[in-house]
Amino acid sequence: MSDSTVSAQPQAAGVIHDLGYRRYDGPRLGRAQIVRALTWHTFRSAFGIGRGVKAKIIPVLAFVAICLPAFANAFAVARGNPRLFGYDVYVPQLRVVVVTIFLAAQAPELVSRDLRNHVLPLYFSRPLRRGDYPLAKYIALTAACLLLIEVPLLILYVGTIASAKNGHGVWNETKALIPGLGVGLMWAVLMSAVGLFLASLTGRRAYATGIVAISCFLTWTVSEVLIQVEGGMTATSTGARIAGLFSPFNILDGVRIWLGGTSPGEDANPGHFGPLFGVFAVLLLAACLGGLAARYRKVSQS
Amino acid sequence: MPASQAPEPPGEPAAVIETKALTKVYPRNVTALDGLAVNVAPGVTGLVGANGAGKSTLIKILLGLIPPTKGQAKVLGHDCATSGETIRTLLGYMPEHDCLPPDVTATEFVTHLGRMSGLPPTVAKERAAESLRHVGLHEERYRLIGTYSTGMKQRVKLAQALVGDPRLLLLDEPTNGLDPAGRTAMLELIARIGAEFGISIMVASHLLGEIERICDHLVAIEAGRLLRADTITSFTQASQVLAVEVEEGLAQLQAELAAHGLTATAQQRVLLVPLGGDDTYDVVRDCVAALALPLCRLEQRRHQVEELFRDEEGAPSV
Repeated sequence: MSDSTVSAQPQAAGVIHDLGYRRYDGPRLGRAQIVRALTWHTFRSAFGIGRGVKAKIIPVLAFVAICLPAFANAFAVARGNPRLFGYDVYVPQLRVVVVTIFLAAQAPELVSRDLRNHVLPLYFSRPLRRGDYPLAKYIALTAACLLLIEVPLLILYVGTIASAKNGHGVWNETKALIPGLGVGLMWAVLMSAVGLFLASLTGRRAYATGIVAISCFLTWTVSEVLIQVEGGMTATSTGARIAGLFSPFNILDGVRIWLGGTSPGEDANPGHFGPLFGVFAVLLLAACLGGLAARYRKVSQS
Repeated sequence: MPASQAPEPPGEPAAVIETKALTKVYPRNVTALDGLAVNVAPGVTGLVGANGAGKSTLIKILLGLIPPTKGQAKVLGHDCATSGETIRTLLGYMPEHDCLPPDVTATEFVTHLGRMSGLPPTVAKERAAESLRHVGLHEERYRLIGTYSTGMKQRVKLAQALVGDPRLLLLDEPTNGLDPAGRTAMLELIARIGAEFGISIMVASHLLGEIERICDHLVAIEAGRLLRADTITSFTQASQVLAVEVEEGLAQLQAELAAHGLTATAQQRVLLVPLGGDDTYDVVRDCVAALALPLCRLEQRRHQVEELFRDEEGAPSV
């Protein structure tokens, strides 16, 4: 695209910005492709890619922390032990802690920065519609959480089948892995909605981190304490069965048990309250996504 | 490739912005726009009005971000209420307030926003570099925006508006927070974009004296209504004055000029003389010489357009 105006400018030699302006007549991406570009950009920044070294510390630490048990499993299995963790409840406490830290650190990175720096008018003055921005952020954070949760499961799987004696063993592992991946997907879908909505409430990053961390930890702790008070994980009282509803993590665990998960997890068995856990999970997801949409509806008009 | 294309594609509307009876009432009966009807021709147009006159509301409606309560607004022939998305591919918008993250480089930021304007990856990179060069940030473009001065930040804001090759730029108070030299540089840049890049521009400002320097047209709004819309020359016609400053004898000179048929008005230490033609200079020179006054300044000035508005308030809009 050489332009004749470049050479036509007599004074161009000395003044660098006096080169001619070039129009762009090439193809333009549609809205869907712009959303995809924003999603990809956001996904990368969820791991600090394209940002400074500091932005990579927490994602890397979270990844290392959650993958270590899976590597330990590979060693244990190679020495003849059975698989150390279930795929559907992979190190439950550690997973709660790591996912909370990851969300508390990265959800504000994805949304609070733009709010804080008032970058949003620049997005909304482009072809995107007002719902596209939170949608792209949500998809990206869900994908990032999914990666964080599923990669250790895959390491666990590979580490275990590496020592499998026959095809039957591999098949059994695969059958056990698939529901585990499903649980991971549930976690990613719900927890990133919770994290993103809470983080979008404020443009102050420290507050956003605090809100996400405290909400996730506090509700989880309260829920755990209530379960203990009601007689622990094996209790069958109504109180113990529904105490899990106080925490999104335990709601997820309740849904897992309701859907047929057998490994003991965080919750007392919800028993016939199982559908209630399902309803709560859906309501919480809807509330968070609705809140997120409402939040950006307001922001786009101000 | 650009040469093969006609400079004005057929079907290009005569008006880049066209509003009819545009009304916006916010909740609690706050009327921001009240039956605004205005046609903005291609070129550089100033949108002037005091704070709260409805400038920002108009811009938001033009961007398709908020729907008008009544009436219609069209940008480049597209209806704002229904074709917001199409309009936004054709528009570049520079907001009034800060909108830049401090922790990325200008190149990264403008490239990303180029992608958000629908440019393919490599094109976005090229155009980001070019836009930053056009606004005079070629050398510094790999620095973090947080290290920039206010003037440089304003330029980044302008570059991000330019990156998607818009047909119309909406600039909201582009000289906000700049020192006089920075203001002049920014205004020159805007004038150049309008004249050389062939992009129509609407500059919103509450500083008339500033944007009258670069505009072809002016649109003045007050309390959500059109006060006046016209070309800048008709605003400033017959408004030329000669400012005469003498170290002493201001009153004497005023009397002497009056004797020669020139009604000069004193404004602090300066006499303002209506400029009729070249002979006005001669009369002033002769009067000063006759009184043997120490003349220190003789310059051509224009009335602030602001004053014209005050004079012509209530005049029928054009």
